[in-house]
Amino acid sequence: MAVVSSSSSFLSSLALNLPSSALSSHPRIRFSSTLFSLFPSSSPSSLSSSLSISSSFLFYPVSCRRPSVSSSFSVKASAEKKKVLIVNTNSGGHAVIGFYFAKELLSSGHDVTILTVGDESSNKMKKPPFSRFSEIVSAGGRTVWGDPSEVGKVVGGAAFDVVLDNNGKDLDTVRPVADWAKSTGVKQFLYISSAGIYKPTDEPPHVEGDVVKADASHVAVEKYIAEVFTNWAIFRPQYMIGSGNNKDCEEWFFDRIVRDRPVPIPGSGMQLTNIAHVRDLSSMLTLAVENPAASSGNIFNCVSDRAVTLDGMAKLCAQATGRPVKIVHYDPKAVGIDAKKAFPFRNMHFYAEPRAAKDILGWKCTTNLPEDLKERFDEYIKIGRDKKPMQFELDDKILDSLKVAVAV
Amino acid sequence: MARLVVVQQKQPSFSLLPSSLSDFNGVRLSNSSIQQFSKRKEWQAKGAFQVKASSAKKILIMGGTRFIGVFLSRLLVKEGHQVTLFTRGKTPITQQLPGESDQDYADFSSKILHLKGDRKDFEFVKTSLAAEGFDVVYDINGREADEVEPILDGLPKLEQYIYCSSAGVYLKSDLLPHFETDAVDPKSRHKGKLETESLLDSRGVNWTSIRPVYIYGPLNYNPVEEWFFHRLKAGRPVPIPNSGVQITQLGHVKDLARAFVQVLGNAKASKQVYNISGEKYVTFDGLARACAKAAGFPEPEIVHYNPKEFDFGKKKAFPFRDQHFFASVEKAKTELGWKPEFDLIEGLADSYNLDFGRGTYRKAADFSTDDMILNKSLVLQS
Repeated sequence: MAVVSSSSSFLSSLALNLPSSALSSHPRIRFSSTLFSLFPSSSPSSLSSSLSISSSFLFYPVSCRRPSVSSSFSVKASAEKKKVLIVNTNSGGHAVIGFYFAKELLSSGHDVTILTVGDESSNKMKKPPFSRFSEIVSAGGRTVWGDPSEVGKVVGGAAFDVVLDNNGKDLDTVRPVADWAKSTGVKQFLYISSAGIYKPTDEPPHVEGDVVKADASHVAVEKYIAEVFTNWAIFRPQYMIGSGNNKDCEEWFFDRIVRDRPVPIPGSGMQLTNIAHVRDLSSMLTLAVENPAASSGNIFNCVSDRAVTLDGMAKLCAQATGRPVKIVHYDPKAVGIDAKKAFPFRNMHFYAEPRAAKDILGWKCTTNLPEDLKERFDEYIKIGRDKKPMQFELDDKILDSLKVAVAV
Repeated sequence: MARLVVVQQKQPSFSLLPSSLSDFNGVRLSNSSIQQFSKRKEWQAKGAFQVKASSAKKILIMGGTRFIGVFLSRLLVKEGHQVTLFTRGKTPITQQLPGESDQDYADFSSKILHLKGDRKDFEFVKTSLAAEGFDVVYDINGREADEVEPILDGLPKLEQYIYCSSAGVYLKSDLLPHFETDAVDPKSRHKGKLETESLLDSRGVNWTSIRPVYIYGPLNYNPVEEWFFHRLKAGRPVPIPNSGVQITQLGHVKDLARAFVQVLGNAKASKQVYNISGEKYVTFDGLARACAKAAGFPEPEIVHYNPKEFDFGKKKAFPFRDQHFFASVEKAKTELGWKPEFDLIEGLADSYNLDFGRGTYRKAADFSTDDMILNKSLVLQS
């Protein structure tokens, strides 16, 4: 059911569904979870998508909703300044999300504190994005370090309107943050979960409301947050690229392409994945902060709106470098290696679509892999990574075993 | 007779007719012709009954007797439009659909009009259309741009030209799904559809173009689901090329028909292209399993093979293009408020229950390419 489109059709569809009295006070439109799902969600009552419209959202001028590639958001209802706390992981693919989100909030005029797990003096802080945290400070943000289970102490008793937990993967880690947030009156709790919790399916893409793996640790966190907070939103990302990334993504391909090495890809290479520029993840989070009523009670796949195959990613990386690529497919079991160690993406279709963000937040995707990878490659060269001596032990093992197979 | 006409006018909906008629829904009847005939006479006698008199249009469907148009024409007639089918008459103008009640079928066949002709006879198209005058044209079977010109020439006051194009026009890409704004392939097998879209745009007519992916549903003449059903019924393995993880997308014909209706007279749809298909995509292997599940067959044995190792001649060993191929239907959902009603399993069940499962199909089973594949893999195993 179309809800976020041009304001006139939006209002007319609204008129069909609600008694007029409801329009004046934060009406809640309930979507049944079957709108987005083929199979019932594992926890229909707490995780079903619901839509609520604040009156400020209704009167958003039509002109600002023109789609444009350059602007990362088209719905900007609230001009209210928020005090936001980001609890950020100190490593891994998600670390860069907090970095971009902090900078975007600051440039939008919000108050930002970023709490990174661990010690400021740790070696982990020498890597990006942490090595660039001065950018957050010079933009007016506050950077602190500590143990999230003591978050109140670490932030020196400060109070916040919004908390984003971009750290915990299990309830033991997130619970203290959630409990503290609740007790100090935090109005909106946001959580970075993972699209990896979706149950594999014959029918991609993963859409919000689809069945998740019951034993995934993030699931318990999602449930807890939905129980504790009135205003919550959950974001399920996949892979991302962007300057300041803590974990290799496109670099894995560049490393091989610039050294004229074959790119070994497990399986057929046809597996779909989803790689977004982190600025899109940040814009989605910012939209949620600035539209708390609309985002409340929703799960958002925090991904780009395009899938790319593993082979496709290799080809796009090669195009960005202006060099040829030789792709070699292999069966990890036959070679006797763990594909998780040998390759940076899942060896299966892993593809979610950001339908809720588009429908509910009016979010627009700006990721343009061909262009974005060119920028990434420019930086790759600038930092001299193409000249860095590297070992490719697992690659060599794979390539050797393939030669053995062919020799027969 | 006059008394019957008065009764009809008081009953705006045919569902208000005696309840005994509803018993006939979905049941194939052999000796109800007398009752059917008398009902048809009633509806003919009362004249054109229009549900939405103010917005009723005079509609021409190019085609309409084979698959999409069969469902589309019914929806349009039900909405109160005057619908004419332009066909050569090779296929019966109307056929009772499986699951269609006698009363519905009689009502429909009494109202649907036929203009017999060959659309390749451009002079005839222009003059016959000019003589009739139509408000809206649904071009369901057009393939080439030159077929459109005589229609536009014959109908200078045409309000809307609604065209059935194809997602096959999209240029193959590593980035999917296809969005309506994506690059198209001027060399594709479907370039006639592209040329038609361009022509419509250049002629300044109010056009709308619908790009379906793979269409399925009862009466499908393209052996999409039928191909799987034949093998499942025969208890044969399903041979799928390469990895079986290629992703495709099926859209139910009834959902497509509803999308076609939703663009009618819709200002938002003016000069717009819409992808129309299912909301979820499916892998080749997954589709084999879904067909089995929908039809109540046990999970099939799937055999993968390398098509390059075979020479199938002119025969098609598998009904889908061997690549990822799917399109986003977000634009239609957002702008038109359209939403598919069928998910894949439900849609396949609908197709099975109303068509293949009743013993009807378009193309007889041909397992010759399967046997080539299976024999070779047997040899490899031994």
